[in-house]
Amino acid sequence: MAWQCTGGMWQIVARETNLAKRIAIVEDEAAIRENYAAAFEREGYSVAGYEAREPALQAFDTRLPDLVVIDINLKDDVEGGFELCRELRSRAAELPIIFLTARDSEFDAVSGLRLGADDYLTKDISLPHLMARVAALFRRLDAMQKPQSRDSRIVRGSLEIDTDRMTILWQDQPVGLTLTEFWLVHAMARYPGHVKNRQQLMDAAQAVLDDNTITSHVKRIRRKFIAIDNNFDSIETVYGMGYRWLAD
Amino acid sequence: MNLKRQLLLVSMLTLVLPWAGYQFIHETESALRAGQQRMLSGTARAIADSLAQHPEEFPGPVDGQVTADQLYGHPLETRPEIDGYFDDWPLERSSLQSLRGTDGPTRFAIGLFDQSVYLYVEVSDRNVVYTQAGAAALDDGPRFSDRVSLINTSPLYLTERIVFAAEAPGVIVAYVLDEYGFSPDPSILATWQDVARGYQIEARIPVSRLGTHLGVVVSNTASDLETPVRSASFSAQVPGAFVTQSPELGAISARFAQSDMRMFVTDSSGWRIAASDNLEAANSQPTSAGSAWLRITYDALVESGQAPELALPDPGGREQQDYIVAALAGEESTDWFRSAESGRAIVAVAQPVVASGEVIGALVLQQGTDAILSLTNQGLVRLMNVTLIATLLVAATLLGYATWLSRRIRRLSVAAEDALETDDLRSALPSASSGDEVGDLSRSFSRVLRQLGDYNDYLRSLASKLSHELRTPLAIVTSSLENLEHEPLNEASADYAARARDGADRLRKILTAMSEASRVEELMQHAEPERFDLCAALRSTVAAYQDVYPDRVFALEMHNDSATMQGSPELIVQMLDKLVDNAVGFSSDEDTITFTLTTEGNSLLLTVTNPGPSLPEQMRYQMFDSMVSMRPSEDNKHLGLGLYVARLIAEGHGGKISAENTADGVAIHITLPGDTHGE
Repeated sequence: MAWQCTGGMWQIVARETNLAKRIAIVEDEAAIRENYAAAFEREGYSVAGYEAREPALQAFDTRLPDLVVIDINLKDDVEGGFELCRELRSRAAELPIIFLTARDSEFDAVSGLRLGADDYLTKDISLPHLMARVAALFRRLDAMQKPQSRDSRIVRGSLEIDTDRMTILWQDQPVGLTLTEFWLVHAMARYPGHVKNRQQLMDAAQAVLDDNTITSHVKRIRRKFIAIDNNFDSIETVYGMGYRWLAD
Repeated sequence: MNLKRQLLLVSMLTLVLPWAGYQFIHETESALRAGQQRMLSGTARAIADSLAQHPEEFPGPVDGQVTADQLYGHPLETRPEIDGYFDDWPLERSSLQSLRGTDGPTRFAIGLFDQSVYLYVEVSDRNVVYTQAGAAALDDGPRFSDRVSLINTSPLYLTERIVFAAEAPGVIVAYVLDEYGFSPDPSILATWQDVARGYQIEARIPVSRLGTHLGVVVSNTASDLETPVRSASFSAQVPGAFVTQSPELGAISARFAQSDMRMFVTDSSGWRIAASDNLEAANSQPTSAGSAWLRITYDALVESGQAPELALPDPGGREQQDYIVAALAGEESTDWFRSAESGRAIVAVAQPVVASGEVIGALVLQQGTDAILSLTNQGLVRLMNVTLIATLLVAATLLGYATWLSRRIRRLSVAAEDALETDDLRSALPSASSGDEVGDLSRSFSRVLRQLGDYNDYLRSLASKLSHELRTPLAIVTSSLENLEHEPLNEASADYAARARDGADRLRKILTAMSEASRVEELMQHAEPERFDLCAALRSTVAAYQDVYPDRVFALEMHNDSATMQGSPELIVQMLDKLVDNAVGFSSDEDTITFTLTTEGNSLLLTVTNPGPSLPEQMRYQMFDSMVSMRPSEDNKHLGLGLYVARLIAEGHGGKISAENTADGVAIHITLPGDTHGE
């Protein structure tokens, strides 16, 4: 590993391959930034760390990374992560953006996702889970480039799941789900009628979530389906146990 | 002692009013009396001065004369019959003068009426000895008899004795004895009466027959042969001067006489030589029952004077009262008398009559004081009434005031208690806007409660704030540990790293629990309430609990088939999770945890009971607060947030949560508003 210091900006270059995906981490806490960078690097990614919005934007002017991990609270810039996300999204519509933050409030999560982030994660998440998510995002990006394969499709009535692209269609209309939401729907719909408890859903979503987070995720998922189909009623709450997908 | 009693006791202070009134009446009475005495003194001085113009009317002292030897001629208002009896005399028996005799006292009186002197003598005699015919005038034997002699002299000129002796009871002849012999005097009328204890003589003698000095001598003999024993009204050689009232002085004093005034003039020895009596008799008004107690208080309050009988002129004719004696010594003096019975007072003034530097007599003026009486009477009645009314009024006012005050304070304390119990620490307390001490108290209470509320809020937010602040350092620790796994470690280091990971994991769980409350609050704000059936939710949840906790028995009692409500079923289930977690934690294996759902009006009443230890009384309200745990301290997995989350969910749904001890455990009651409109 080689560490180069250029003007307050840390740039870590993956040694293994020039083809390695480049990940930018915007995080003001140096210890976390370096820990994440080390983990990503171990996975073969090339990582650039930035401690604030300005240096990150300057670097992105030159070249955009393949994926950005953003903390919301950047030093004195309390909403700096949101600003950065908005800026990036305007530059590149398809760039995967992940919020990784200590702020666990529902309001922040909704705001972040509304700004076009692909995922909103709290710092509770373990490194392996984070790696899995990042890998999944890249996989989806790759799958988008290729023609759709039949094998990767699961159809359950009006529901159509593309496991490669990680997209879901309801009545042939795409449902804009985040990665976590996709995995939750996937876990439920794979075996319709089976109750999935919270732990199972958590494992499927590659995240450590508490009950309330699952509840709000399910609520958000329902809302997204209902936006397409007012009569959507396929996710049933089984009180005290979990949720199940009802085949229509 | 409550406030009401205290103030009632204070109201007793009004009883000081009668005391003040008493002081007032007392002083007024004294002042009135003093004023009357002064006025009377002025009058007395004026009269005494005019009396002093007539010094000749005052019999001067005679050399060598003993005052006690003098006889007093009572002025009579009616003419007594000469029948030997005293009962028709217009005099009291107390007017009789007394002489000592061998067989008992001799009493006599001399009266004056219409130019005649009347003599009455009653002699105690065991053995009345009558005189022999013709021997009536013979005093010196040889045959003796019982007799009464009137010694009549005008010194230097005349000395004679008028002898009354009887041959038999009835009209007798009086003999006049002088140095030339004796003769019967037909101008003297006399009667002798025998009575049980002796005899009585009554006689009338023309004034012109008598001199200036008179004396009475009684001779008592046991038989006609024995020398009689004599008792005389005088001890000197000659009898004392005969005192009669002076018509001149009487006329003068009559000029000054006023209504309700008694006046008499004495000579230098105290003999009454003129009198006029216009003093109204003490009108003994009938004392009604109402004034009986008035009389008692009157006696208790007003200074008592001398008995009113002492104010009367001396029946014997000689005034010897202290104030008159003082006046005769040359000093003006006053006295006062009061009848306890009628309340009527008499003010008396004795004024010396001084002529050419010598006290020749005294003037006594007495006046009744109805004014004082009526003043004090009215004053007392008014005082009593005013006191009564004032005391009642003050007591009633204070009672009312105390009631009002204590009600305000009670309301304040009840409101404060309520605020504490319902945890509504920002509610307005009563009396907060009033400017008095109760208002101050209320504002202080409000401030204290508000601070308590702030503190409670701080405590509640502490958990989520803390968890938020700790999340970043925890992320550093966990990510570092996860990176460390990929480094070559020796066995010991790997162990340590594993332990550190365990610790960090536990820390993360704790932080998640700590932020749960704020997450629930957030969820509640964003939740879109839906109508759902609590019965269905309960059935499914309780079945699930049986799977999760196989050591416990779960019972579900529902009195209705369905109970719809508005809210978030997930949150309600989360609340049940907390309650079950709590119930399981405090019960033991094979215990039955019971869920009961009843409806009461439009409310749903859910009760979760579990056998187990009772709640300490002071924890009943605190147990639903943040970070309050009643579990043993070694059980550090619980931060005391579970029941707080349950409370947040219950209250977020417009409900209430409370706990109570049952016979063998604890019951937690949740009241939730039902939604029956849709049915």
